[in-house]
Amino acid sequence: MKCLVCGVETKAELCGNHRKAKDALEAAYPRWTRAYGEMDWRAFLDNVKRNPRTGQWARETAGFLEGI
Amino acid sequence: MKGEGYTLVICEKPDAARRVSEALSDGRPSSQTVEGTTVYRLTRGKEEFVVCAAQGHVYGVSDPADERNVYPVFDVEWYAVDAVGDDAKGASRRIDAIRRLSDGAARFVNACDFDVEGETIGFNILRYACGGKEGSALRAKFSTLTKEDLVRAFDEAESQKGQGLARAGRTRHAADFIWGVNLSRVLSQAARRPAQRYRTVSIGRVQGPTLGFLVDRERAIRSFVPTPRWSVTAEFLAGGLSFTAEHVKSPMEAMKDAQRTVENCLGSQGIVKSMSKKTVEVGPPVPFNIGDLQKEAYRAFGFPPSRTMRIAEKLYLDALISYPRTGSQYLPPSLGFEALLRRLGKMKEYSHDIDELLGMRLRPTQGRQYDQAHPAIHPTGDVPKRRLERAEASLFDLVVRRFLAVFGPNATREVSDLVVGVGEDAFRMVGQRTLKPGWMKYYGRYSKSREVEIPAISEGQTIKVENINSEEKFDEGPDRFSQASLLQRMEAENIGTKATRADAIQTLLDRSYVSGQRMEVTDLGISVFETLEEHASQVTSTELTRGLESRLEAVEKSGGGEAELLRETVRTIAAQLVGLNANEEALGNSIAMATASSVAAPELLVLGICPVCKTGKLRVVKSRKTGKRFVGCSNYSSGCKASAPLPQRGSVKPVTKPCPSCGWPMVAVFTRRVPWMLCVNVACPSKREKGH
Repeated sequence: MKCLVCGVETKAELCGNHRKAKDALEAAYPRWTRAYGEMDWRAFLDNVKRNPRTGQWARETAGFLEGI
Repeated sequence: MKGEGYTLVICEKPDAARRVSEALSDGRPSSQTVEGTTVYRLTRGKEEFVVCAAQGHVYGVSDPADERNVYPVFDVEWYAVDAVGDDAKGASRRIDAIRRLSDGAARFVNACDFDVEGETIGFNILRYACGGKEGSALRAKFSTLTKEDLVRAFDEAESQKGQGLARAGRTRHAADFIWGVNLSRVLSQAARRPAQRYRTVSIGRVQGPTLGFLVDRERAIRSFVPTPRWSVTAEFLAGGLSFTAEHVKSPMEAMKDAQRTVENCLGSQGIVKSMSKKTVEVGPPVPFNIGDLQKEAYRAFGFPPSRTMRIAEKLYLDALISYPRTGSQYLPPSLGFEALLRRLGKMKEYSHDIDELLGMRLRPTQGRQYDQAHPAIHPTGDVPKRRLERAEASLFDLVVRRFLAVFGPNATREVSDLVVGVGEDAFRMVGQRTLKPGWMKYYGRYSKSREVEIPAISEGQTIKVENINSEEKFDEGPDRFSQASLLQRMEAENIGTKATRADAIQTLLDRSYVSGQRMEVTDLGISVFETLEEHASQVTSTELTRGLESRLEAVEKSGGGEAELLRETVRTIAAQLVGLNANEEALGNSIAMATASSVAAPELLVLGICPVCKTGKLRVVKSRKTGKRFVGCSNYSSGCKASAPLPQRGSVKPVTKPCPSCGWPMVAVFTRRVPWMLCVNVACPSKREKGH
């Protein structure tokens, strides 16, 4: 099967790189909710996607997760 | 006369041959051309000398079968480098010249640079061009091309025992060739099948683990998710001087904490809780080895390590600095520090500082690394006889200043720590200032000392909070490697040698695995590395490469064991080829995909942050349909439609400052005419003003 984000051949839904980016997003979410008091998952993804410091794979994965 | 015939001296480079002949000759040496190569004839006492030069390596290893598509290749032989496709022009003619000259020679002196590469160059010439004279030739060892050093080296020349350096050098060349040629052929062939065209995809023994360092970092950067934090600072006024201190808990992890602090402190009075000062002695830096020089030149001038190496070699050939390819951080007293400083003092820009140093005890700081063959890099004391180019003058100044600094006394710095309490909150300011510059004075503009003044203030004093500020900040992602920090990592991991590390980095750039000064790994670089990581993990193994380096060092010392080392290299590569060959299709597909994306849509140039979406980057891209270049946003796929046309002729380079009228990035356009500046924004007000 192909990675749902980048289309690279992979054995799971996401390739290794986008899987790690998803893990990084999931690890960052509690830090963001702690930082702003409250924030839903979609708003978090939108903010991360717009942040210029976000890495390319994390941004792509955030965009993909936002669309689910 | 020492017997029949002359002494044939083999130097590594033409400039070195000229200097050697001038240093040894009783009168002026005469020059003549043999096979298109300049050689020098001279008389020294009753002995006649002929001095000739190679041009770096004139022999290289290659595959005797020379069939580009065939692997594995485990037999290697030495050939003239221009006969096996190297771009070194005229190597065969140089070899012919040396061969002709060797017929009339009674004695041979190897005067190539005294290190692994120099030994290998001299050894090969003496063996192949001079008919097996590598065992009987004398060795002249020197660290500078000054007259005194060269005369001493020839007076003390003696025959070599063991030839450890040359054997290690030849083994390294053979092992690297076996490594490179096999991997290059298997990878290129695998990539050719799906792409239907040939493209060289290769990875060298040192490049593999080096690419690994970069890919690891690139993965961390590309997966990075920033976290918000709040920096809380307060501005105080004391004794007419305003200063800023940072909250002791800054950066804060929660916005509400930052807001509460601002509310609590605004308009309040602060009390100086503590004010401490301590003095710190800062010792001089250690003398330069090549790695340190490359790092410092990158920091001071932005020179990539390969450029620093090239310039340093030029300065060495001009006899201005000592041999640069050294790992040594040690300056032996036998250099004669006082005399050397006095000679340097003839240059007026250094004379004042040198006069001061001559009044002190001349004992340099020494580093931990010691190289028996060469001292640390130092100026020779010779004054430039030609006007140095700007980059050369900069590097020369850096070498001289560092040499002066190592003799300087400790610098004394004062570090102050001020804590101001405001209610339950506390703010800290750390000040630093130089009390006695010591060696920093001699190191001049290359000293990096941060000066932060703290106002005269005492404990218990009440001061007013003038302003308080909370600023949202996001974590910086992991730093990219610079060429200098990558070089440092290679050194720390003992990957490659001091002479080859910069070239390995350059090869990664040339192969498009890495792009730009920021060392951004391309999709192709990631794909090649991931493919190797999956199917041939030893190729990218740091431990394996490090182990080979240690064994080569053992060959250097003992002059034996190279056959076993090569056998082991062959065994390792053979095992890796099995894994790669079995997965050729998958390997080819992933490399071809990455190659296609990097060829079809190369990230040519990044111009700056996109002024429309504020998150993407404006880049110069090429239309797949029309082949024309234009400016587009990296967030195009996420919906940002910012784009702009570009002139199709000439080259385009980004300019650091944005357009003063609209803030969009600007480019410099270079054609045959005078270069011109262009704001890429088609709707820029400046264009309307000019009537575009």
